[in-house]
Amino acid sequence: MGLGLLASRLIRPQKTAARNLLLRSIVTKPELQSAEPATTPQPDLPPRTPLAGARVHFPNPDDAIEVFVDGYPVKIPKGMTVLQACEVAGVDIPRFCYHSRLSIAGNCRMCLVEVEKSPKPVASCAMPALPGMKIKTDTPVAKKAREGVMEFLLMNHPLDCPICDQGGECDLQDQSMAFGSDRGRFTEVKRSVVDKNLGPLVKTVMTRCIQCTRCVRFATEVAGVQDLGMLGRGSGEEIGTYVEKLMTSELSGNVIDICPVGALTSKPFAFKARNWELKGTETIDVTDAVGSNIRIDSRGPEVMRITPRLNEDINEEWISDKTRFCYDGLKRQRLNDPMIRGADGRFKAVSWHDVLAVVAEIAHQVKPEEMVGIAGKLSDAESMMALKDFLNKMGSNNVWCEGNGPSPNADLRSGYIMNTGINGLENADVFLLVGTQPRVEAAMVNARIRKTVRGSNAKVAYVGPPTEFNYDCEHLGTGPETLTEIAEGRHSFCSTLSNAKNPAIIVGAGLFERSDKDAIFSAVEAIAKNGNVVRPDWNGFNVLLLNAAQAAALDLGLVPESSQSIESAKFVYLMGADDVDLEKLPNDAFVVYQGHHGDRGVYRANVVLPASAFSEKEGTYENTEGCTQQTLPAVPTVGDARDDWKIIRALSEVAGVKLPYDTVGAIRSRIKTVAPNLLSVEEREPATFWASLKPDATQKVSSTPFKVAIENFYMTDSITRASKIMAQCSALLLKK
Amino acid sequence: MATATAQALRVMKVSGNSRSVEEARARVFDFFKLACRSLPAVMDIYNLDDVVTKSQLRSAITSQIRKNSHITNAKVIDMLLFKGMEELGNIVEHHKQRHHIIGQYILGKDGTLHDSSIKDPGTSDFLKNFYSGNYF
Repeated sequence: MGLGLLASRLIRPQKTAARNLLLRSIVTKPELQSAEPATTPQPDLPPRTPLAGARVHFPNPDDAIEVFVDGYPVKIPKGMTVLQACEVAGVDIPRFCYHSRLSIAGNCRMCLVEVEKSPKPVASCAMPALPGMKIKTDTPVAKKAREGVMEFLLMNHPLDCPICDQGGECDLQDQSMAFGSDRGRFTEVKRSVVDKNLGPLVKTVMTRCIQCTRCVRFATEVAGVQDLGMLGRGSGEEIGTYVEKLMTSELSGNVIDICPVGALTSKPFAFKARNWELKGTETIDVTDAVGSNIRIDSRGPEVMRITPRLNEDINEEWISDKTRFCYDGLKRQRLNDPMIRGADGRFKAVSWHDVLAVVAEIAHQVKPEEMVGIAGKLSDAESMMALKDFLNKMGSNNVWCEGNGPSPNADLRSGYIMNTGINGLENADVFLLVGTQPRVEAAMVNARIRKTVRGSNAKVAYVGPPTEFNYDCEHLGTGPETLTEIAEGRHSFCSTLSNAKNPAIIVGAGLFERSDKDAIFSAVEAIAKNGNVVRPDWNGFNVLLLNAAQAAALDLGLVPESSQSIESAKFVYLMGADDVDLEKLPNDAFVVYQGHHGDRGVYRANVVLPASAFSEKEGTYENTEGCTQQTLPAVPTVGDARDDWKIIRALSEVAGVKLPYDTVGAIRSRIKTVAPNLLSVEEREPATFWASLKPDATQKVSSTPFKVAIENFYMTDSITRASKIMAQCSALLLKK
Repeated sequence: MATATAQALRVMKVSGNSRSVEEARARVFDFFKLACRSLPAVMDIYNLDDVVTKSQLRSAITSQIRKNSHITNAKVIDMLLFKGMEELGNIVEHHKQRHHIIGQYILGKDGTLHDSSIKDPGTSDFLKNFYSGNYF
């Protein structure tokens, strides 16, 4: 072998490498080298179904236009964007900044598609579809555009996926796998951005931010706080709070979900688990009366995080911070053994057999009218039914649900549910809020009101203590006398109300506790009558409940026989009731606390029966608009705890008044005889009769101004009070 | 000592079918005595002195045998004897671990074996299940 041959062998591979290098510097993938605009029409494709089962609503059939997506014709209403047209045609366009519930920014350029006769690729999220437009989503031009955008985005994005909490559910990760190039050409130093402190809920790693501005738009549009914004230009561009400030919104956790990368992640969930090792359970939230649809992600016996589930009628795709971050309360302060308080005042763990025997014996020692049963704010319908049946069998009818007040109106369903429906609030044009602060009582309802105010310029006025709203709101007065003024037509707001097309009145459930409740409700009903709020085609009279158990309790008829029963009680059965005022309870009364947390109720209890929390049981709940929903068990029960209704069923047998149901199915057929609407799950059952059937109230309104119903948004029930995250939130985020 | 008992077991194991219930009954007593004789070795192997006494273990064996007192078929008794012998052999030859012994013979299925649990004849299936756990 000659020396020259050897030398040429050495040289040859180098030559080809150099040629490759030259090619790489022009375009990344060989097939995209000649990315000419596609001119040949695509062959006929089989019909494709719209993405995620999306349905197109034509407000005006004449305004339908036809466009062609990849050669396939679709009919869409006028005003839709190219991206929406593609979705209807069943083509998923990659996107970062576009979000269907937020305004259009058009700054990520990921959704570029080719449109025939257009010189350049167009950003489909911002381009309105025009009649006859020929959209091509899968051509070399579109692919090259996406690849280019991905390369620019990844230029300054850190390669820290292995330590990123978004890893596995990251839009950037997924889309770079699908549309990105397999190598980058960036050799300089990546930029880094200082992390922002947004509070105890949202963790920021701002270097990962791709400036899609979804969080900024969410904060200003949905949450209604002007906290977040864009600073700087070009590569110095960053998301921030202008001045050092925490994000003080009750919806702030949603920016975690809408962030397409790992820039905004959950602080309590940080480095706790990977999303692919979690088991998701689709259930509902019970921390307020909205019943937001959630998914509980658990690993083994532990709830790792809570994320929202889409439900257009209730929570859209948002949930409040309390819903999202209350889960660490499920691990603290739990009751796991049946306990009896000894003579020394300390609790001693005993077996279920012994504790039920003790409770049954004492229940028989007191007179039936001295027995009281109180259901807690997190109780499910099954256990409330069992509690009522048990006490009725023992001869007592003093059973109620906390928060419903001393003399609740359970006769007319229209008097305690949201007759308009949460979704229906969007059709209202005037809101009158009576004694309610929806922002803390039901954050999702408040988000819906804000959406209406933003979308259709609805007017909002409120009667109650001065409150901060995140939309324009007129303060009419603080007490019931303003209400009487409006009812009698002496107030300036009357003309607004009578000129409104769809007026809505929202009454807070905090008023249930007032002694002049009936008079206030008849005043509100008078306003409703004068303002034509209740018509055959529109019912604008709403009661905004506070707790998950309230509506079902009233449906099941948990109404106390006398409002003074606590004072004369000798045997009190608290089924998770922690916020009942037991001050007036006689000292020799025997208190049984059945519940899942060692909360306020336990301090006075003589016997503790451990029960399961909402994440551990199957239970029926009815939300404030009358929609029945069910929880599903995500994790096993703690310790020796049992489901609520099972405890009462077992106790009834030990006490010799056996309840006739052994299974959830059997107890539901019992519920069917009382409130059949609690069996039609995921359905909203509107009220049938309107309050005009009610006899006139003889009460007089008192002059006491309305009070704030919820002092601390973050801590309202035993689960949230046990939560460390909620404690941090109330310390940092509540205005003092 | 342990090896001696193991030896005895090996001799004992070879046995034909019992011809009558009486013969099977006699074999049960032989088995019981053998088991009782191996108890000191068992206590020794598994370090059971601080959790249980010999007499408690004896009554545990008795209760296991009494559980089948209603059986009158000699073949079934032979089969049960064989199983018992198998189990005894496993225990004596240290094929088990300490927590097996404690779990099976000292604590029993649910909690304490000596609890003699709830013997209310009137309790329903629901209540029995309720006492034993939440999932039924």
